[in-house]
Amino acid sequence: MRKRFAVTLGLVMLAVVLLAASSAQAGHKSQKVTNITFAGWSSGNTTEDGLDQKMADAFNRTHKSIHIQWEAIDNYTTAMTTRFAAHNAPDVFYVDSSVIGDWVHQGVIQPLNSYITKSHLKTNVFYPKLLGAFKVGKKIYGLPKDWSPLAEETGNALFAQAGIRSAPKTWAQLKSDAKTIQQKTSSQHPICLSPDWARMGAFMYQNGGSITKNLTSKANATAVNFYVGLIKSGLAYTPPANSWCGQELGQGHAAIIFEGNWLLPYMKGSYPDTKYHVNPMVKGKQQGNLAFTVSYSIAKSDKNKAAAFKVLSWLTGKQGEKIWMSLGLALSPRKDVPSVGGRKPFLKAAPYARGWGFGNPNFANAYQVMGNDLNAVISGSKTTQQMLSDVAKALKGK
Amino acid sequence: MATTTATEATPRRLRVSMASARLHEAGWGYAFALLPIAIFGLFFIYPIGYSIYISFYHWGILGKTSPGAGTFNYSQVLHDPVYHTALKNIAEYTLVVVPLEMALGLGLALAINQKIRGRNFFRSAFYFPSIASSVAIVTIILFIFSNDGLFNHLFGSTKDWYGDASTVLWGIVGMNAWTTSGTVMVFYLAALQAIPEDVYEAAALDNTGAWRTFRKITFPLLRPAHFFCLVVFSIGALKLFDQSYLIGGPSGGPDYATITPILYIYNQVFQFSAFGVGAAAGVVFFVLLFLLTVFERFTVGRQEAA
Repeated sequence: MRKRFAVTLGLVMLAVVLLAASSAQAGHKSQKVTNITFAGWSSGNTTEDGLDQKMADAFNRTHKSIHIQWEAIDNYTTAMTTRFAAHNAPDVFYVDSSVIGDWVHQGVIQPLNSYITKSHLKTNVFYPKLLGAFKVGKKIYGLPKDWSPLAEETGNALFAQAGIRSAPKTWAQLKSDAKTIQQKTSSQHPICLSPDWARMGAFMYQNGGSITKNLTSKANATAVNFYVGLIKSGLAYTPPANSWCGQELGQGHAAIIFEGNWLLPYMKGSYPDTKYHVNPMVKGKQQGNLAFTVSYSIAKSDKNKAAAFKVLSWLTGKQGEKIWMSLGLALSPRKDVPSVGGRKPFLKAAPYARGWGFGNPNFANAYQVMGNDLNAVISGSKTTQQMLSDVAKALKGK
Repeated sequence: MATTTATEATPRRLRVSMASARLHEAGWGYAFALLPIAIFGLFFIYPIGYSIYISFYHWGILGKTSPGAGTFNYSQVLHDPVYHTALKNIAEYTLVVVPLEMALGLGLALAINQKIRGRNFFRSAFYFPSIASSVAIVTIILFIFSNDGLFNHLFGSTKDWYGDASTVLWGIVGMNAWTTSGTVMVFYLAALQAIPEDVYEAAALDNTGAWRTFRKITFPLLRPAHFFCLVVFSIGALKLFDQSYLIGGPSGGPDYATITPILYIYNQVFQFSAFGVGAAAGVVFFVLLFLLTVFERFTVGRQEAA
């Protein structure tokens, strides 16, 4: 009797286990999981790369129907070009504002307007200039992931030696402070200036000029002459081939540099003992700055656009941005997500900083002309006007 | 009669069997060559043909963007001052670097061909730069030649040798002559060891001096190696890309001092998405390279054949 009871109990238990297993399997089957790849360039910094993975993990914890996987891509523009051509682009990926114009022109980026409307996503939470960097006409091709404008960073030691208490705020003060530092300290050339329009462009806007309109204007020429003049007069120098202005500040060679938020983690990691201040960018006739920003976008040929947009809107949403901002590697493009402390001088530029790239499809080519011609102007083999007209032509694709 | 027929039939049968054997042998030969030919066709001939095709179209990331461009892309390339600068740079670079590499390589080969102690160590040491990573070499060189680098400390200068448009190309010449000389050395060493000893013995019997022996015996007998090195290393030099990219960036700066035709093609395709222009630049450069090789074949190569 007892034996029969034990056998019956065993059979019942087995049936229960089998039923539970099959129902779990059925449940699993009914909830289809969409796999989404989100990709970007590797920063070369394990902490930053780890943050992307952290974002993916956070998303996967809260979403059952979509599973995302982070992919770091080396040699990004080249690799993405080949992947677009092979219709094998990741589902969601970084796009730098300097290439969005070309990629939109090539027809490889999906406009997001219909998805934004359908999901009732509010775009007014983003700083308009940053969102504008990824708009061509009225179409939005990406939502900003993060950004940084330029600021003026000053080395405490050289400023203290020269007896200057506050950082220069205007072009005139910049010149006079540099002269004082030159006279009172060992620094022969107190300002470090990159031979780069991605720095000089800010001065052009400060002088009432523009990179997108009337490039050969007097305002632009004056700004270029001021920038190059600082170098030619010996108040400024360009960093050597194996260095950049951040390194020059860290090593105490430069007293004044103009770099973005990326300088802060670099200084913390490479020159933790160098004391420096982050100040708002100098002002010319008006405030002027450039915004270096990156979006999350979707490929036109993507097969999982709806799921990809869900991922994209989460990454650029409040929750995603909070995680992304946690290490202070970049600034928040959203007004409702605060950036980590000490970023005020950068954030002040949000209303007027122009998105670098300007949505121009010929920008990659024009940027090369900008770099080479600026070097030529500095060495004296080209005039400012020649450079401005070369760049104007390149921006028009001529 | 019967005998005559038999004797006539024997060579015919022999000829038939010989022809069949040849055919059989050729069949096997072609069978063995089929795979390499297929790979060569797929990865070399087909892309070359396709590039020529693309060069006649406005071609973007996703393919043709208009029905046909005619010779527009060629006109773009041939009228682009950046391409002219790239050709000028590469011509100057090749004209200096190849003789320098060959001279250095030959010098090193002659040195380590002597019966000296530690010969194997020197062979490895001289060859090492050829196998070292170009990224690592460029990084170290940039440090040594920066304005506050070791070179300037030793010679009391402040010039940023690889950041200045007037010196950067010659800096790359010096660096590549050094790194490539090890490979040139290996080719020359093989050629030196193929020269028969009795030639030198005869020269020694005639009391010929070392310089005269080199000038009259060694150097002329190395002519096949000269031709080989000239062709191979000229083509290699003309294809300069990595050091140029690492030092000057994709823009070939400063002031286009490091732009090369290959970097120009890379930029057109991968930076500007102008595949048609990039393909046209590639075709133009291919033609130039081909003409140069033909020229070398009919100058140095003819002497070598003689």
